[in-house]
Amino acid sequence: MAIEWPTTQLEKQSDDPMVILNPKTWSHYHSYGGWGKFFDGLRERKLLATRCSNSDCGEKRLWLPPRCECPDCWHETQWVEAPQTGRIYTWSVVKYPGELFKLPAGTPLISVEIEGVCTKLMSFLKEGTPEIGMAVKAVFNVDNPTNSILDLAWVPA
Amino acid sequence: MIKLSEQNLRIPKFEKKVYVVAGGLTDYRKRYPEKNTSQLCTEALRMAVEENDLKVSPDEVRQMVNWCVYSQFADHFGDQLLAAAKIHDYLGFDPLGNIEVKTGGATGGSAVLAAAQAVASGYATCVPVVGWERMDEVPTKVGNSYIASAACKDFESELGWMYAAYYALMAQRYQYENNVPREALAKIACKNHEYAYYSPYSQNPGKYTVQDVLDNETVSHPLSYLECCVMSVGAAVLFLADEETALKMTDHPIELTAICGGSHTLRTADRRHMPILLLPNETEETYKDYFNQKRNDWPGFSSFLASRMAAYLAYNMAGIKDPVEDFDILETHDAFTISDVQTYEDIGLRPYGRGREFIESGDAYFEGKLPTNLSGGLIGSMHAVGATGIFQIVELLWQLQGKWGKFHADPERWTKYGKKKPDDFRDLQVPGARRGCAISHAGTGSHVTCAILEKP
Repeated sequence: MAIEWPTTQLEKQSDDPMVILNPKTWSHYHSYGGWGKFFDGLRERKLLATRCSNSDCGEKRLWLPPRCECPDCWHETQWVEAPQTGRIYTWSVVKYPGELFKLPAGTPLISVEIEGVCTKLMSFLKEGTPEIGMAVKAVFNVDNPTNSILDLAWVPA
Repeated sequence: MIKLSEQNLRIPKFEKKVYVVAGGLTDYRKRYPEKNTSQLCTEALRMAVEENDLKVSPDEVRQMVNWCVYSQFADHFGDQLLAAAKIHDYLGFDPLGNIEVKTGGATGGSAVLAAAQAVASGYATCVPVVGWERMDEVPTKVGNSYIASAACKDFESELGWMYAAYYALMAQRYQYENNVPREALAKIACKNHEYAYYSPYSQNPGKYTVQDVLDNETVSHPLSYLECCVMSVGAAVLFLADEETALKMTDHPIELTAICGGSHTLRTADRRHMPILLLPNETEETYKDYFNQKRNDWPGFSSFLASRMAAYLAYNMAGIKDPVEDFDILETHDAFTISDVQTYEDIGLRPYGRGREFIESGDAYFEGKLPTNLSGGLIGSMHAVGATGIFQIVELLWQLQGKWGKFHADPERWTKYGKKKPDDFRDLQVPGARRGCAISHAGTGSHVTCAILEKP
């Protein structure tokens, strides 16, 4: 038996030093695991957060992004709908996003403060000009969802 | 609210004294195809064993080594899993045991911490810490995507694929709460680019005015390119040893009196508040007027709890009472101008809310009370991530040994890296420097180490 030489060439980019092009094209099968419920919720225009269900736990804060387990006692949490209005805690406009960015350059990136929620959710402003303290409300990408955090955005309230 | 017990806040102890004996660097470049990663690590190692006036030969150093620590941030940049095994073999250290450390931007600091733990416990007596990063296999935009993989991929990476954006969010909030003039931030960039101008190792040197920085193109509002760290290829090596071994190796070892780590959430969003953890130079009185309508919790987005925690532990471990008075030199992880101002407060150079005064007063300059980032830092010199925290301590070592000139001023060293020593070169050796501090920092403050070095 004779083995044929492979025919796929790693394209040479320069001779000295010798630099070759090494293509990478595969995909990952990423599971959201227990957090999938949050992303399913976006398609139903729900903003799903979690709260600890352990009666002995002291903090019982409302987490968004959700946590299926409580960081204080490691017990399971319960799903709760979070308010869909909030205020812009801080913002930036990304002029030069990285390669995988799916929104147009210049999209305002915002952190949203929501009453009762202990985090400041990172998201983007779909309409208007951002300002710290500005009242905003959630909007959902239900028609053609990306199945990612980009299915949630905010507009002036 | 974060609640910490006395045991959570226990001050770390070394069972045995730990010394820094030698350091080596490569130069740092945006692209470095001329040398592969194994070669760059060897180059830094050779500099450490051949050029640090050691009393022992390179071969004798090899015979002293009994454990190795490797430091690389991102496997996907280098496109080589278990790269440490490849480097370890290339350096000829097999079959000695080794470990590879990964804590994002703080990887270098954490690697030195791991090596110090080995020496301090008696597990090892002589440990090389070898760090590198190869960030030139992909275009810059892909590189930024790779770095943003160190944000939460489920809830945050998609919103920018760009770390500068996540810092820009903090910058905006910090400015809202503290009303810092843009000029104060820009001054940090000018300072570090200028100090990089006097370093043969540096990737992005330059003499810029505040206006140049403000007029420079924005990456993510409000941060401009000149206010962001570089993306580098290069390596750095540091040798740690116990007292007996250190004194066999050199007449001028520098003691690592403390190196401690802190952490906080990867997602900036998820930071929980707590009462301000006070440093030795602060009291309750320091913050009696701190909180107001704009600033109602700590650390919020304006402060790094991980940095405060690392400084709290390290200052108490090394007996530091007031960092500006007690340190003669400082290296911060100036990934962005904004994170540098935040860090000034976290490590107690100024109280929270007044970080700008550290740069505006002149304290941070070569002529000032606590010269900061004379190496050029991450903005001016390098951010070959796995090498960065090691590079900082190498630069401190040389300063405390009085050898800055030897490693920066020789025109031949500039020629070696294909550069010309500038005609208006400045000597940045801090006269009589005895004690220095280095801050290594990851994520939006996910891991931070604080190292304190002292001339015995």
